[in-house]
Amino acid sequence: MSEAALERQIRPIYDALDHGSNKSAINACNKVLKKYTNNTLVKALKALALTRSQKVEEALVLCDEILATVVTDDSTLSVMTHVLKGLARNSDMVAMFDNAFKQQPQSEDLGAQTFFAHVRTGNWKSCQQVATRMHKQFQEDRYVYWAVTGAILQANDLGTPPNIRTLLYKLAHRHVTSCPTPSYMAVDRFHLHLLILQELQLWDEANTLLESDIGKSICSASLVCNETRRDIWRKRGLYKDEGERAQEKIKNKDRNWLEFVSVVDAAFASVQGPDVSEEAKSECSENIARTRGFLNEIAELDGSNNRSASLALLELEKNAFSHGISSDESALVDSMENYFSQFGDKACCFEDLRPCVDLGADAKSRWISFLASQEPSFATTGDLQRVINVRKLQRISLTASELSTDKELQLVSIYIEEYMAGLELGSNLPVTELQPADDLAILVGHAFVSLWTMTKDESYLYNAAVVLEFALTRSRMSFQIRLLLVRIYRLLGASSLALDHYRAINIKQVQNDTLSHFLLTRALTFSLSATGDLTYPSECIESSQIYVSNSQDTPDFIIRAFTSEKYSQIPEFVSFDDKLENSLQRDVVKLEHVRMRMTHEPINSDLIDMELIELKFVFDRFHHDNRDFGMLPNYQPACQSSLNDQTLMFGNSTGQGWLWYFIKIYIRAFQHASDLDDIVEEKLLIGDRPKKSPEPEVQLPLRERLAIRKPEEAAELTADELQLMEWATAVSDWLEPYHDHTRPPPAVVLAEANKQNELRTGLPLRGVDLKALNGDAHANGHSKKDEEAPPVKEPPQLVAQFFEHMHARFVQLQQSQCLPSDLLHVATLTQEAFLLFTVESLRFKTASVVKIYKLGALVQSLKDIRLKACAVLKTMSNDLLKMGEVAGSAERRKCFVESCKPITDSPKLHHDFVLNIAKNVGESRKKVLEGVGKGMVKICANYGQ
Amino acid sequence: MSVLRPFKANDLFRFNNINLDVWTETYGITFYLTYLQRWSDLCFTQESPRGRLQGYILGKAEGAQAEWHGHITAVSVAPEYRRLSLARNMCQRLEFASDEIYKGYFVDLYVRCNNALAINMYEGMGYSVYRRVREYYGNLGVGKDGRDEEDAFDMRKCLSRDVAQRSIRSNGRDMIVSAHDVM
Repeated sequence: MSEAALERQIRPIYDALDHGSNKSAINACNKVLKKYTNNTLVKALKALALTRSQKVEEALVLCDEILATVVTDDSTLSVMTHVLKGLARNSDMVAMFDNAFKQQPQSEDLGAQTFFAHVRTGNWKSCQQVATRMHKQFQEDRYVYWAVTGAILQANDLGTPPNIRTLLYKLAHRHVTSCPTPSYMAVDRFHLHLLILQELQLWDEANTLLESDIGKSICSASLVCNETRRDIWRKRGLYKDEGERAQEKIKNKDRNWLEFVSVVDAAFASVQGPDVSEEAKSECSENIARTRGFLNEIAELDGSNNRSASLALLELEKNAFSHGISSDESALVDSMENYFSQFGDKACCFEDLRPCVDLGADAKSRWISFLASQEPSFATTGDLQRVINVRKLQRISLTASELSTDKELQLVSIYIEEYMAGLELGSNLPVTELQPADDLAILVGHAFVSLWTMTKDESYLYNAAVVLEFALTRSRMSFQIRLLLVRIYRLLGASSLALDHYRAINIKQVQNDTLSHFLLTRALTFSLSATGDLTYPSECIESSQIYVSNSQDTPDFIIRAFTSEKYSQIPEFVSFDDKLENSLQRDVVKLEHVRMRMTHEPINSDLIDMELIELKFVFDRFHHDNRDFGMLPNYQPACQSSLNDQTLMFGNSTGQGWLWYFIKIYIRAFQHASDLDDIVEEKLLIGDRPKKSPEPEVQLPLRERLAIRKPEEAAELTADELQLMEWATAVSDWLEPYHDHTRPPPAVVLAEANKQNELRTGLPLRGVDLKALNGDAHANGHSKKDEEAPPVKEPPQLVAQFFEHMHARFVQLQQSQCLPSDLLHVATLTQEAFLLFTVESLRFKTASVVKIYKLGALVQSLKDIRLKACAVLKTMSNDLLKMGEVAGSAERRKCFVESCKPITDSPKLHHDFVLNIAKNVGESRKKVLEGVGKGMVKICANYGQ
Repeated sequence: MSVLRPFKANDLFRFNNINLDVWTETYGITFYLTYLQRWSDLCFTQESPRGRLQGYILGKAEGAQAEWHGHITAVSVAPEYRRLSLARNMCQRLEFASDEIYKGYFVDLYVRCNNALAINMYEGMGYSVYRRVREYYGNLGVGKDGRDEEDAFDMRKCLSRDVAQRSIRSNGRDMIVSAHDVM
């Protein structure tokens, strides 16, 4: 057949792939391959269709065949790029292009593709080498800058030691200076050049560049270059020059705050450093006076149009005092008062003044009386904003001795009264607008949360919920109010209400990474997945979608930034990609999902093997904490912790320490239950391994890492979680010898995997030579080992008594004043322990194993513990069901309404409104208490025998 | 009063106070990365002196010949930082960059015809209506403000290169085009 005829046959394959009909694509490929058995393009297309229809094993066989030859034709390379991307085999992609480029070093396109393949794997060293080679071959300036960027990214890698870093920057510098066209031909090249000079502290060269006409013109138009220029000036200590330049700019109407910072910094240039002479001090004092004059002029000129100069005056006076130049704070308080008078009607006034309020006794009392002298007025929104600012500033200045329940209750009634008065101003606003009085309702929330932390009386949280719910009826779009309600409802164990509010905020895309902690932190506590309600597990999966789109899309943009020479964006994109890929929250949610998954899916080797591999990947990561805790406002007094900290369920969030502790529990339990050892895992793995963290601890053998316990990490666990951890460790230590002794050898496991694979796909596992691995593998699995079986030991006391202990804790909590969330915490942890125990004892369920290794006594101990655990779970479940009944009762609703006395004086917060909230809270609590209770019974039924 | 600096990819981790606002859409990451990769010099953010993001603007350069211009795609300010002329400052910077760097003839933006507040603000900043685009904000159905809710004004402001001021006209409100003419 001619080439044209072949092409005619290939076209329909592409069409089928484009239309997503993978099956007909495979058929079409098979047809062509009958005649052209060695056509790599068709093989590649078949591999693509197979990958897309999830037939990974078969696709891999084809990939191996194709990659065994050197592929150089464009179409095949392009198809293979898609195949290998789909299989997450970037290292194969790198090898493929490397070989192709070696074979055809004159092909510029292949060079670029090779470079991009290295970009995808984040191998910056190779990037730099390939780019250098490309520059030699093709003499294009841009490849010099590709090499430079590669060197800089390698230098910035976490694992690069400082001396190598300098070396790499020097290399980058050599590249830039040897380039025939000067860097200022393009802004992004110029910026890169500046960065190198900054790192190497080559100030003279930097000066020449920046002081040249073209350099000045670039910096005036490009913010990013100007930023670097400013950094360089500061690093050189040229505060005065920079200050003068900034004054000029300000005189020319530039109001960028950075210019004002430069002006203020210049005033204190002479008192930088440890030993400051009197002479320097008096020089500084003169400078301050001059700067004050300058800023006053600007402030007067701008009036209330712009607050920069006034804010800079505050900064100036604050620094003058902290540097010991001015002896008292009266000038500072003067500026604060002026500032408030002028900008008190702006919402940001509070944020602006906040850093200044930490005053000495005299200054403070003057400031407090100034605030007290402000007459509240509700004539305009500006007046209302003043009232709000006064209340906030007063609140953060409260001292521990002033704070009492009476004081807080008194504040509550002031805030509510003023809130209601303020509402009048926004009565005509459309529903989509925020009420200008919202912050007063949020202040009520603050006061009630503070009352709750002082007294531990949960009825204060009811009050908070009612007022905030009311505020939402007036300001439906207030995300701050909703987020605070999410926190309060979680504390109260009204989890479905928390979920509703969270969903109403409409969190999307990348926000899932930064904000899902509000909902998913320790979500197991409220998960009803054991009863088949998969709400929380699906929330986990949905919120994790962003990580998939990141790894699919962001690398493409890094590559595009190279082709369009946007070098200033590349390190940012790389770091963005890294922060999402290795996000702490991603893996906290992952683990939370595993914990929930165990409650509703059958615990078998499929689940265990898969999660073991994934958790081990997680354990090798260097995490970034992107969680945003700044979305809850904080107006609590300085002597209290922040509103965010106060409303965290169980008093803390789940950070790196929590993740490490829990992941150690799970990896160890899964390792015991799994037959996968490292050899088997390596054979069964399909994609590349993720990049390993360069931390020294991560380089230790897994066994050692699993044993590490650090107090700072333990601090992120609740007392009950620590108990679970200790127990899990003791169980693992106790059972490990029996697992290790009875686990079938790798050859047997692989033989089994091979068999399964053949059944599924008709093909043997690739790359597995069973004979070479182990000739004596018995087909039926277990073979008696030569070494003595470890003697069966009694369970350690900690292991045997854990469940009784948890029960005692549960009873004790019930009798004390505690929140439903606390009770659910203990109950769900006990349930988790039971499931972990199931994992740990799975291997000894098989009768043949017990018989061959004579583990009868061990099995008996396990059974005893299991029975005890079951009994405890059933009792807890019973209690939870009873509590659920009570929580939803009319009696409880009445109590709720009665405890809202502090706020029901206000006519708008009438009885029916409060009763409605009481009903919602009661029903929501009932639902979760009953659901968790029922789930526990179900789990007992599944694994109790 | 605030730091005006380039908008960066990592700002996506910090823009919640701006984007949780109901009128500000949070797009997929490719949207932001496209703007940053192509028009990073038309994307800025304002940061408060205390380090909080206050607002951002995303823009692009497009069009051919006399239509070559800067376009304001999104401009948003967090509720707590409104009434501080932040949007105005960011627009000015974008106009400056469209003029200096891209040498465009004008800058334009789209706004709902019923958003009187915003239209007033843009007029105060020197923008004028160039044309009315029918059903630009489609599939809302005709709401309480009738056509005004789904139609957009294309508002423009001349840059220094448009000496003859050909990119604006006084009767813009009467010039009606359909959405597919401008997409």
